[in-house]
Amino acid sequence: MTNAESPRYRLAVLAIVVLALFAALFARLWYLQILSSEPLLEAAEANRIRPIQVEAPRGRILDRNGEVLVDNRVSTVVTVDRVLFNELDDDESADMINRLAAEMSRYGSPATVEDLVDRINDQRYSQYAPVPVAEDVREELKIYVEEHSELFPSVAVERTAVRRYTFGTRGAHVIGYVGEIGDTELEDRAGKPKTYERGDQIGKTGVERIYEDDLRGMPGQTVYEVDAQGRPVRVLEDLSKPPIPGDDVWLTIDVTTQSVAEDLLKEALEGARNRRPSGDNPKNEAPGGSVVVTDPRDGSVLAMASYPTYDPADFVNGISSSRYAFLTDEANHDPLTNRAIQGQYAPGSTFKLISGYAALSNGLREAATPFFDTGSWTLENCEGQCTFTNAGEKKYGTVDLQRAVTVSSDAYFYSVGEDFWNARGRLGDEAFQESAQLFGFDQETGVPLPFEQDGRIPTPEQRKVQYDANPGAFLERNWFTGDNVNMAIGQGDVAVTPLQLANAYATFANGGTRYAPNIASKITRGQSENTVKRTFEPRINGSIDLPPEYRDALLQGLVGVTSANGGTAFGTFQGFPLTEFPVAGKTGTAQVNGKADTAVFAAFGPATDPQYQVAVILEESGFGGTAAAPVARKLFDQFAGVTPPPELRPGGDLVYPEIVADQPTQEDLARVGSSD
Amino acid sequence: MDAFAGRWPGATRSTTSMRRNPSAAWRHVDLILLGTVLAISIIGTLMVFSATRGSDPDTIDTGTLQRHLVFLLTGGTAMALVAMVDYRRFRDWALIAYAGVCALLLGVLSPLGTEVNGSQAWFQIGGFQLQPSELTKIAVILVLASLGAQFGGDIDLRRLVLLLAVPGLPLALILIQPDPGTAMVVVAITMGVLLVSGIRAKHIAALTLFGLTGLVLVLNSGLLEDYQKSRLTVFLNPSAGLREEAYNLNQSKIAIGSGGVLGKGIFEGTQTQLDIVPEQHTDFIFTAVGEELGFLGAATLLILFGILCWRIWRIAQLSRDQLGLLLCVGVLTMIVFQMFQNAGMTMGIMPITGIPLPLVSHGGSSTIALFAGLGLVQSVHMRRFS
Repeated sequence: MTNAESPRYRLAVLAIVVLALFAALFARLWYLQILSSEPLLEAAEANRIRPIQVEAPRGRILDRNGEVLVDNRVSTVVTVDRVLFNELDDDESADMINRLAAEMSRYGSPATVEDLVDRINDQRYSQYAPVPVAEDVREELKIYVEEHSELFPSVAVERTAVRRYTFGTRGAHVIGYVGEIGDTELEDRAGKPKTYERGDQIGKTGVERIYEDDLRGMPGQTVYEVDAQGRPVRVLEDLSKPPIPGDDVWLTIDVTTQSVAEDLLKEALEGARNRRPSGDNPKNEAPGGSVVVTDPRDGSVLAMASYPTYDPADFVNGISSSRYAFLTDEANHDPLTNRAIQGQYAPGSTFKLISGYAALSNGLREAATPFFDTGSWTLENCEGQCTFTNAGEKKYGTVDLQRAVTVSSDAYFYSVGEDFWNARGRLGDEAFQESAQLFGFDQETGVPLPFEQDGRIPTPEQRKVQYDANPGAFLERNWFTGDNVNMAIGQGDVAVTPLQLANAYATFANGGTRYAPNIASKITRGQSENTVKRTFEPRINGSIDLPPEYRDALLQGLVGVTSANGGTAFGTFQGFPLTEFPVAGKTGTAQVNGKADTAVFAAFGPATDPQYQVAVILEESGFGGTAAAPVARKLFDQFAGVTPPPELRPGGDLVYPEIVADQPTQEDLARVGSSD
Repeated sequence: MDAFAGRWPGATRSTTSMRRNPSAAWRHVDLILLGTVLAISIIGTLMVFSATRGSDPDTIDTGTLQRHLVFLLTGGTAMALVAMVDYRRFRDWALIAYAGVCALLLGVLSPLGTEVNGSQAWFQIGGFQLQPSELTKIAVILVLASLGAQFGGDIDLRRLVLLLAVPGLPLALILIQPDPGTAMVVVAITMGVLLVSGIRAKHIAALTLFGLTGLVLVLNSGLLEDYQKSRLTVFLNPSAGLREEAYNLNQSKIAIGSGGVLGKGIFEGTQTQLDIVPEQHTDFIFTAVGEELGFLGAATLLILFGILCWRIWRIAQLSRDQLGLLLCVGVLTMIVFQMFQNAGMTMGIMPITGIPLPLVSHGGSSTIALFAGLGLVQSVHMRRFS
């Protein structure tokens, strides 16, 4: 027997093979457990852990006195999971819908099969989240559905915390509304400590949007350990954390003032509607307007009303597409728009305060210099339309600056406008505009609300640029004396927002400090009202030098508007205790091409120690003195204690059209989709 | 000292007394082998319990543990019974055993057998299942060793064909079930015994070529279902396998790897306790070891297997005749192959097949067959002087 054939030799071969196999196992074990251990450990953790985000209640919104404007309530919502629903066969889904409609009707939430089917097929709802088919259903329905879950495949009845608006529509534009987070918002907020998930609510407009980071609570986490099938086995307490409620935002808004302002605004517009102030004017449409009340001492906003308004509660649990279509239809005058900061209007004669200041500060006038108002003003060295007449072709005779303001002499300010243009060699092309900018026009006021508009103070340079960009849209490329003349009485291309107007007057009222208006005063911790997280101090945005020689005449002129015979709001303020509470104001009646005039009024009081600044702008409503000034008068009645504060009641009873069909058009869908 | 008496045959006291005493063979039990078997069985029992106790801490499930202990006791008894018998007597019984398992294999394919997981491989007897293919391994070892010993190391082509035909019949029956894992074990046993019993080099070469060709043909033929093919090949390219197979393999690797050096601790492995790894108390038991006992535990288990193999190999060397040697080689190859295939499968270096990890996996027939095999080895050791 040769060596190779001996069993001993062959056993050795076998041993080598066995050793090789063991070596392979050891090597592999080493590789997996020593070299690759970390990523595999992570993979093992990912296998077993399922964190579920637990939404935290959103912070409340309170008024300056602690009246709760917005808090949360529990809403019991019936949802249908579309993915599961579509997996049902036709019979099953039809049965289920019939049963659900019947049970919902039985438990006090009447619904038809069609309603439910429409809702389930409504593409507006997220693909991923279950579709809410009924909100605020009774608890009994929840219990019934849960106890018979086999009869209701794909249906869930869940409690969710939703926004509750204690005062209904009050302050809707300031507060804003919340809605489901959109894709871009989700991307923008990736990595924030307060994490978002699809389906979460986020502030879309107003304070809800601006203070989103404070209002949003810190979502908690329930971490489940799951088995291979993903079934929760237990809660991992040490990895879970409870949600932390969002922080409360305290507004500078006073809900009483806000309510009064809203009611007066609505009343004034309804009163002006369909009247014709004079024969050559179109009929008043009075579609909308705004009232702003601020505190000139620190720039805080006490009330901000915009009409028409909307009900933020419509957005709770998702707004129906027909309602959204209504709210965004131009024919309904944009109820979602906050006109106080987004509406841009010619200020008309209220701009004369600025024109007067500009004339004084640029040395073009002295307050006492008399001017003879013949009822019109004719430009020198002029071709074409060179004569500008007073509104109503009134003649005021000899006026100084104070009287020109009181009676609103257009001729006086026409001459100021002309002088500015004639002195442009010395003062520069834009001296007038610069004065306007000092008062905060042509720029955002800096109020912490989204989508604020700049307004517009036109300049020769701007005119050229605009013309060159779009020659068809403008009559002229050049700037003429007449443009300055128009600007001096707040016409032409001058446009201001109601808040800008209020803020400009407040700046004058407080002696020249221009504040960026505040809408919130402080933020307190969600768990305790007494723990202040941060406060919002007055923010100074600029200042104007207002020595007595400038200020006195202008102020007396404004006081005269309400108190002096011939003052443009003298009649409106009859019976108001002006001696104890002098009110300085200015009317404006701004012409709008082809439409009725915009009625404007800006006023502050008491003139000696200004605490309230009011601006009223009513679209297509006629004269400032008769349409807008009464709104301010009634507000000052409140401030002066002439009328008792009204009983607080929620706003509401908005007139909505009957909802005919809930089927959204493609256009609606596109709009909803892009509404983030 | 008695435990090691066998290592010094010149120590006269023990050798002489053994010959006189009818029960003297017991004094030559390989205690190291026995101890190793016990140690592996303890680890196995712990891991089976860990994998089957359930994830609810309030109601710990001990059902599988109890069954496992019953299997171990039965296996231990079988081992003792087999060891009591002089292994040379099995030569006479080999054919009977062989005929018996072939009959059982035929029977299991009849309606008497039960199909589980797509394999017609079990007899349901009361609460227990008998898997004849497991017993086949022992019968094949007996027959091959008997024939190999009879041929005395001279294996010509005719004898080779006979040596291949003997395991060929049960192999075919096992493949019909189909149970490719056990079939592979039978092939490995055959190869091991053939190698040591004196097969010629050119025959080895020819068989290797033949085997590889056959493997390729089978994989490319329509004989195997897709899932079977996927199980066999997924380890080569995990991303190309069927989803479930790739998932299982991946979770298996995650379980082992996440154990790290020290492991997560017994009953603390998340992959194990949450049933994330499939078939964990049977085919994938090594993942529980890897995850909960870590590299230290898994390596210890492998070392214990190493000691086991060394002892069997040593007994093969010490055997007084060719029969004993070949019996040991058969058992050795069976254990080594099963261990390598099973552990290798869980770590992604071998195909996925339903082969239990010897002495560790939960399974009645397999445990009994293994212990019986170890009984044979002990019998060889005990009677190496007689």
